[in-house]
This record gives sequence, structure tokens and C-alpha cells, in this order.
Amino acid sequence: MAIRIPSLLVLATLAFACMPGCEKAAPPTSGTPAPVTPTPATTTFTIGYSQCNRGEPWREQMDKDIERNAAKEPSIKLLMKDAQNDALAQQGHVKEYISQKIDLLIISPKDSSLTQTVAEAYDAGIPVIVLDRAVEGDKYTCFIGADNRVIGKAVGEWVVQRLAGKGAIVELKGLGSSIPAADRSEPFREVVLKAGHAIVYEADMEWLGDKAREKMQAALALHREKNSIQLVYGANDPAAIAAYYAAKDAGREGEILFVGVDALPHEGIEAVKNGLLAATFEYPNGTDVAIATAMRILKGETVEKKIVLGTRLFTKDNLPSGGEAVK
Amino acid sequence: MSDGSPRRRFGLPPPEVLFAFAALGLVLLFGSLFNANGVFFQPAVHADALWQIAGFGILACGLTIVILAGGIDLSVGSVVALSGVIFTIASIREELPPVVSFGLAIAAGTGCGFLNGVMVAHLRLQPFIATLAMMAFARGLAKSSLLSGGVKIQRMPPPSEIEILNAKLDLAGLHVSLGTCIFLACFLATFVALRHFRFGRHVYAIGDNAQAAWLSGVPVKRTVVWAYTACGLLAGIAGVLFAGLERQGNPDGGAGYELTAIAMVVVGGTSLSGGRGGVTLTLLGALTIGYVRKILDLNGIATPAQHMITGGIIVVAVLVPKLLSRGLLHRDPGRP
Repeated sequence: MAIRIPSLLVLATLAFACMPGCEKAAPPTSGTPAPVTPTPATTTFTIGYSQCNRGEPWREQMDKDIERNAAKEPSIKLLMKDAQNDALAQQGHVKEYISQKIDLLIISPKDSSLTQTVAEAYDAGIPVIVLDRAVEGDKYTCFIGADNRVIGKAVGEWVVQRLAGKGAIVELKGLGSSIPAADRSEPFREVVLKAGHAIVYEADMEWLGDKAREKMQAALALHREKNSIQLVYGANDPAAIAAYYAAKDAGREGEILFVGVDALPHEGIEAVKNGLLAATFEYPNGTDVAIATAMRILKGETVEKKIVLGTRLFTKDNLPSGGEAVK
Repeated sequence: MSDGSPRRRFGLPPPEVLFAFAALGLVLLFGSLFNANGVFFQPAVHADALWQIAGFGILACGLTIVILAGGIDLSVGSVVALSGVIFTIASIREELPPVVSFGLAIAAGTGCGFLNGVMVAHLRLQPFIATLAMMAFARGLAKSSLLSGGVKIQRMPPPSEIEILNAKLDLAGLHVSLGTCIFLACFLATFVALRHFRFGRHVYAIGDNAQAAWLSGVPVKRTVVWAYTACGLLAGIAGVLFAGLERQGNPDGGAGYELTAIAMVVVGGTSLSGGRGGVTLTLLGALTIGYVRKILDLNGIATPAQHMITGGIIVVAVLVPKLLSRGLLHRDPGRP
């Protein structure tokens, strides 16, 4: 740090200088076009991967994971492009891949406006795996995505099993207008309310840790007697972690369990390891399944049109063994 | 009390200070009426509220200087992220001594402010455009692979220089966090700079009429550069505070904070057209906006409704004093 920042001006100049280099450059295609008909053993398959926005931490991890998973298959050459949350840029990326004649396209589309472009690739004979966010119609080979409703229900069931007797729960929900927020909340509430637990405070933290802290402080002030809150469910890990720190500042972190969703290695998992969170549920990015499915497609197998990913529960106990799949 | 209008003729506090007090008083009255079964009367709630206000309040102090000088600074939210990221990289990743971590973070903020000032004063860019550019640049820098690489910088448990910002000082039974004290210190420094230094008089003169100020010998360019630099410095301090509060350096943090801080300045009664207002008003405005949020949270008001109510309060807080002072006190007949 001290060496890297002698002064802000130098840093600023550096940043300007490296800006073009900061983009995820695709490795240069090595002269010969990829063979169209796959032949076993020595063939390399070129997979074009189109990310809609590497800027989000979850998607940053997704990119790292797909690189790691692809590296395990010696026959795969992975090209990567990041559209930086711009649907038009992503359409351009897909078209570049089509003209490059890649063997397979993996795309995590920004939104359904990519439907037409994905169909173009599919019609050009390129198998397409759509990851996480769906496109319309059926002109793709396989959709792979997680289901937030499955996660919401899994959290609810874990909470019911974990809380003895009737518990008082604080729910910190995701942005009110977003579908994942509703999907992570509704099944959870159904399960815990049916089991007789009470949700004593609920608030929209807009997916943001700083908002979650403010809401949690209000919850703690409203329920100020010791043990008047048993559990906090944060719809994402940053919220659950922020709630933990709010409770810690009030000296009450010991009496409350904190549960989050996402299970990113440097966030939720780290928080479970350090005892901040009692549990976190993975929202899987499906890159391992995507690469495995890609291999099956490239070998000529037919695959399911839709693969729904399950979730994994991480607690301090099962962390060393890599979490536990939730059925 | 007034650091407001230099044209003040009476010994009484000027009306804008009275209005700002009235607005805060009304909000606190609402808090006492809708007290969530007495929760509002707990000292801890107020200690929390003040700590939450602190970071925004510091941003608002800096913005007050810039706005009084007839400018605006849209970059403070991004500077919060940049300074927070630098602070946490220095303290968590590089494990540098706390003084160095604080120093680097605040230097980064000051540097951004200085560049803003140079762009406005010397390159003659409009403040809106210059600071909009800095807003984009500082955000990019915070997220770039040079610094955070787009990921949050955190360690669990956090290092002591982050925890110390959350330390509570026992002031006559009220447990005030260190961050709140830093906010008060920043407020006092801004107050003194505006009230008791030539710099302050120059800021008001430039905001009132830059041409006239220049003709009467005010060093306009130098003062404008200093004003933006001070704003950047305060944003750097705020960035450290927010990082302390959140126990992390978040390259995506601080988004939209500039608008909250501007709202605090405006609700206090400082004019966006420059030259009129003061940091005491901003303190009152910061408390008003901050307490509105706290009271709505305590009463479990849903977030969309909170946004709408805050919007309404901004309009009322600006409109009512304007109408009253025009109607009752006949001030500024010449102004539109």
C-alpha cells in the first residue's frame, strides 16, 4: 500500500493508464478456427462465456468458479467477456462469439432482451447454456439456475429445527420490488409461522448492509429485554453480518442466532467460520454444473432443458466437510 | 448563534436558524408522540441515532462550505467508498499502523477534493460536471484492481482500529460513540473556519456574487480550491467512519450518500444558490433528516413509505420558511 500510493495523483495516472487493461480481455484465438465436428480425445472445444456484470461480488465469484471448473477439463478452452451490466454490449459479445464459430455458448444474460441474440446463436448451430437468469422461448439448449423459493423454504425448515420452543424472529428482507426478495421471504415465513414462531420485526434492507444495520438497531431498541429476539434471518449474508455487528454494539450478539443466504467464500462462509453467522445457505452459481453439462453436450449427449440447482447449508460443524446439500 | 446571513441587523438569531430549530423540534415532537411504547425515550436509541447521523453529517458539513461558495459536490458518496476501501486495505490487508491507514484514507479524500477545486476554479468546469466526473472516477478507482478489485475488504473479527471507531465513550451516562465525537469535532472546525477566518468571509462573498467578490479583491480561485479540498477532506474522514460502522471497505458503498447529505444542507436552510446559510443550520438539518429515519424505523414504517415521507419533508422544510419569511418578514423582496 505505502509503495503503491505515494500520492493520489500518481495513483490516478496509473488508473487511467491501466483502464483498457482492466477489462477482461479474451485470450487471442490461436489462428486456426475451432473444428465444427467434435472428435474425441485430442480435440479442444472453444466455449464462449458471456457474463452480464462482473461488477457484483456474486458474479465475480461466478467468473472465478467457471474459470476454475473449466481448467479441470483439459479439452476446454474458455473465452470470457463481461458486458458490464449493458445488454447491448452483451448482444455484441454473443455476435462476436457466433462469428468466431465457437463450439458452445454459456451465457448469464442481463435480462430477457438477450432472447433474440441467444436464438441467433442457437440457430447457427451453437449449443447454448443459459445460466442463472432465463431467456424467453425455447431456442437454447439448457437452462441452469437456482431457485430462491427452495432456499427460502430450506432456511425456514432449518430455523424450525434449530429453535427450541416458540422463537421471536427478525426478518431483514431484500429490496421490496425484486422477485428474489419475495422468493426468499414467502416460503420462509410460511414454514416458521406454521411452526408457531413469531416474526417480531421485519424490514426492507434493500439488499444493503448499511440499511440492514439501521433496521436491526431499531429491532433491538424495540425488543430490548434480554432474549426477546432469538434469531435474525437476513435475505443475504451482508445483511445478516451487519445485523450481527448491530447486536454486538448493543452487547447482545451472544443471545441471537444469525442466518444468511449466498455463502460466498469471503463473506458468508468466512462469517460462519468466525462464528458471526450460525448458518448460511448457498445460492449456487451453477458453474460446475454448466461445465459438466457443456461436456455432455459436446460429447453428443442430450441434456435436460432445465436444471434447477439445490442449495447447501453451511454451519460451523459441517464447514470442514464442505457444507451439506439440502434435499 | 448565527453563522448565517452577513446582513443580519438584529441581535436575535436570524429566522432561518429559528426555522431549522422548529423543524427539528417538530420531528422530535413526532418522535415523542409516536414513541414506540417509550422506546424513543431510551438514551441508547439517541446514541445510535447520532452515530448513524455522524457520517452523513460530516459529508453535509463539507457540502455546506462548497454550497455556500456557490458550488456543489456530487462526488462525496464515491469518495466515501474510495476512502473506506483505502483505509481497510491499509489496515486489514497491509496491516499498516493505524495512523498511516487513517492518513492515507483522508489524503485520498483530500486529493479528490483538491482535484475538484482545480477543475472548477482553474479549468472553469461547472461544479456539477466536474464533481460528476469525480463521482465516476473515484468509484472506478475504488473498484479497480489497483485497490479492491471490486470485492469488499473485511476481516472477521475486524482489526482494532476499526473497532475503536465504534467504541462508546461514557459522557455523563450517555454512551456516545467515538464516531459521533468526530462528527462534532468536524462540525466545530467547519463552524470556526466559516465564522472566524477570512476564508469563511470569502466563501460567503463568492457564493453571493463571485464577480463582485473578485472585484473587491477576494482571491476567488484559491478560496474555491480550498472549499472543495475541505469538502474532500471531510468526505475522506466520513469514509473512514462509515468503514468503521460497517466493519468493511465496500467499493460499492456510499452510493447516493451525496444526496442525503445535500438534503441535510437544504433542509437546514442553506441556499443552493450560494452565499446564504451556514453550518449550524446544517447540523440542525442533519439531525432532522437523521431523526426522521430513526423514528420511522422505530415505528416499523415500510421503506417505500419512508422514501416518500423524506421527500415530502424536504419540500415542506424548504418551502415553509420561504413562504413565511416572504410573507411575514418581507425579506429579500428582490429575489424571485
